[in-house]
Amino acid sequence: MKVLVPIKRVVDYNVKVRVKADNSGVELANVKMAMNPFCEIAVEEAVRLKEKGVVTEIVAVTIGSKAAQEQLRTAMALGADRSILIETEEDAQPLAIAKALKAIVEKEQPQLVILGKQAIDGDNSQTGQMLAALTGMGQGTFASEVVVDGDKVKVTREVDGGFQTVELKLPAVITTDLRLNEPRYASLPNIMKAKKKPLDTVSAADLGVDFAPRTKTLKVEAPAARSAGIKVASVEELVSKLKNEAKVI
Amino acid sequence: MSAVADLFRPLLGARCLTDEDSLKRYGVDWTKVWAPAPSAVLLPESTEEVQAIVRLANEHRIALVPSGGRTGLSAAAVAADGEVVVAFDRMNKVLDFSPFDRAVTVQPGVITQQLQEFAEQQGLFYPVDFASAGSSNIGGNIGTNAGGIKVIRYGMTRDWITGLKVVTGKGELLDLNKGLAKNATGYDFRHLMIGSEGTLGFVVEATVKLARQPDNLTVLVLGAPGFREVMRILHAFQSKIDLTAFEFFSDKAMSHVLAHGVARPFDGEAPFYCLLEFEGSSDGVMNDAMALFEDCVEKGWVLDGVMSQSLTQASQLWQLRERISESISIYTPYKNDISVTVAKVPDFVEEVDAIVQANYPDFEIVWFGHIGDGNMHLNILKPADLPKEEFFARCNNVSKWVFEIVEKYNGSISAEHGVGRTKKAYLGYSRSPEEIALMKAVKAAFDPNGIMNPGKIFDL
Ligand SMILES: Cc1cc2nc3c(=O)[nH]c(=O)nc-3n(C[C@H](O)[C@H](O)[C@H](O)COP(=O)(O)OP(=O)(O)OC[C@H]3O[C@@H](n4cnc5c(N)ncnc54)[C@H](O)[C@@H]3O)c2cc1C
Ligand SMILES: Cc1cc2nc3c(=O)[nH]c(=O)nc-3n(C[C@H](O)[C@H](O)[C@H](O)COP(=O)(O)OP(=O)(O)OC[C@H]3O[C@@H](n4cnc5c(N)ncnc54)[C@H](O)[C@@H]3O)c2cc1C
Repeated sequence: MKVLVPIKRVVDYNVKVRVKADNSGVELANVKMAMNPFCEIAVEEAVRLKEKGVVTEIVAVTIGSKAAQEQLRTAMALGADRSILIETEEDAQPLAIAKALKAIVEKEQPQLVILGKQAIDGDNSQTGQMLAALTGMGQGTFASEVVVDGDKVKVTREVDGGFQTVELKLPAVITTDLRLNEPRYASLPNIMKAKKKPLDTVSAADLGVDFAPRTKTLKVEAPAARSAGIKVASVEELVSKLKNEAKVI
Repeated sequence: MSAVADLFRPLLGARCLTDEDSLKRYGVDWTKVWAPAPSAVLLPESTEEVQAIVRLANEHRIALVPSGGRTGLSAAAVAADGEVVVAFDRMNKVLDFSPFDRAVTVQPGVITQQLQEFAEQQGLFYPVDFASAGSSNIGGNIGTNAGGIKVIRYGMTRDWITGLKVVTGKGELLDLNKGLAKNATGYDFRHLMIGSEGTLGFVVEATVKLARQPDNLTVLVLGAPGFREVMRILHAFQSKIDLTAFEFFSDKAMSHVLAHGVARPFDGEAPFYCLLEFEGSSDGVMNDAMALFEDCVEKGWVLDGVMSQSLTQASQLWQLRERISESISIYTPYKNDISVTVAKVPDFVEEVDAIVQANYPDFEIVWFGHIGDGNMHLNILKPADLPKEEFFARCNNVSKWVFEIVEKYNGSISAEHGVGRTKKAYLGYSRSPEEIALMKAVKAAFDPNGIMNPGKIFDL
């Protein structure tokens, strides 16, 4: 069976983001970009399903600029068999992304679509849900466990205060939560092999999807600054600092 | 005891501490071998106060111990004999920043990490970095000439200090080198101060050069079949790429750090691992790295390897190296920080391994270190059934053998942690009697009454 893994290029989780001077967004010039961490988990889950013999082909897809090829190469180094770039210079919003993915789903006919539960840039947590609604597939969101059984998939969901297990008929949409798995590193031999795997580019216009934004960002603000923390050498030092400097005990 | 404190109290008031907590806290560094016993702790707020302290100490022949973040690993900041500790907690300000010089002037109590963060805010980079950077301070880093994980590219603390203000053991204030890049006017006392472990005077101000920020730091972790192959990998990569780090660790170190909860880099196992870091700033560099990897695999030097795909993964891979120390700390390890020139590293390690295994076959040796600089951290874990005293008694023998081998290889008994008290008895393995006599003469010129951190590095 085929699985489609949509991934997103975002600001590297380790970068301290800076708000632009005009508060219109965050600084992206010369900032290190990487695959969204939840997408890494989605790729890893697909690869594990393939290693178990459940999945036969993994297709990674992303919507973004040419630069996003870098993340598709990473997905292929981790185990995706081929990938598709839906090229646009537009900063696509979740609805447009979901519509573009629907077009790919119609073409590729995957049995599973595994996405991150959210991307750490917009923190929207909308794309997977919208894609499920647009395609009429069932959805298992915030997955911490995925078990495929014949033409069904059981998804354990992380919900407030516990777990909920749902059973979905294939094809289905799954979004990944943090504890689903621990993604592997890309091995150097696989990074080299990934260079030779197929990467197709489709222009967003060809898919007939309207990428015009539906929401407008009014203002982006940095959280209030905190002073830097320090490490103390011993319990005594901690107690002394709490007593004499913080004056809390 | 309190008579000593009474001398300084008129000068510093409440900033002359004598409470039990403070004496205990300020009297030790990371070594915790000698019980802290200072007679007072002083917290000066200005250069004038430091000078006044030194004058009083000279008058009454009171020993002073300069104190930084007390993360030192050689007991250089220890006050175990009734000394007066002078700590720089209150002199912790950034005084000046010059964008054109790319230089920042700081007081000695600025924490290393704060300096790093200050540099980052200016779009620049302070490259001296190590695991204790969150607690150590610039004064202490200058005191030990601290090194760390990026020395292969950026050098030691020494390479970043362009100016120092110093109060000598006599109480004079020296303004050394004044931030200049070029200054051909005779002896450069700045470099005498750096690494002097508080035995010549107090650093009261430092001007520190900053670098441009590195671009897209990328980490490789490679498995190698043997130690000699690790060195070949280093040589191969250095021929094409400016590495910002080259660390190594043995399979034993790896198994402890994995047991400690750090994620495995790849499935296969290898007797040795190395971690390489470089700026992945262009496709050209990345392609070079790939080609080098391929070449090393073909030659049989590399068994397997991974490459970070994000800064997040790069920092996760660093955990494999940076968390070794804490992962073995439950085994009460014996530790030694030594160096030889890079070319001699494999023979040196082999010889140390052989002598330890021949005498104490039940000792587990864990090697890791900044191998790109020829700097090894030797760790020996205490066998569970061996009493602590017996273990450390045997380790004293190990030290002697190791230092004899260090001497034979023209290496250093202390690569970057200093001499302090812990290695004082062994200084002769690395420095000649003539050198040590000159060191004493230098000390006498800066500190005629011997009040500055006596009993550290050498005895007078
Ligand atoms: C987990 C860990 C990892 C470490 N890793 C490294 C590493 O990779 N590389 C490395 O080089 N070190 C390392 N160290 C050792 C230590 O952090 C360094 O030696 C550091 O430079 C000590 O700084 P400090 O401020 O703690 O100095 P302290 O320990 O307080 O003092 C060190 C010396 O400097 C003197 N001194 C302090 N302030 C002044 C002053 N204002 N004027 C004159 N003399 C002064 C003291 O008298 C003493 O002799 C490590 C330590 C730990 C605990
Ligand atoms: C056209 C020209 C251009 C120059 N440009 C530069 C420049 O760009 N940058 C620069 O830095 N200099 C420059 N110089 C100056 C000069 O070349 C340098 O100072 C150079 O280092 C001197 O080397 P030397 O062998 O001629 O030394 P000498 O002039 O012979 O001696 C210089 C000093 O070194 C001492 N000395 C020599 N040998 C030893 C030894 N074995 N042990 C101990 N002490 C010793 C001498 O006693 C003397 O004090 C220039 C000079 C000229 C003529």
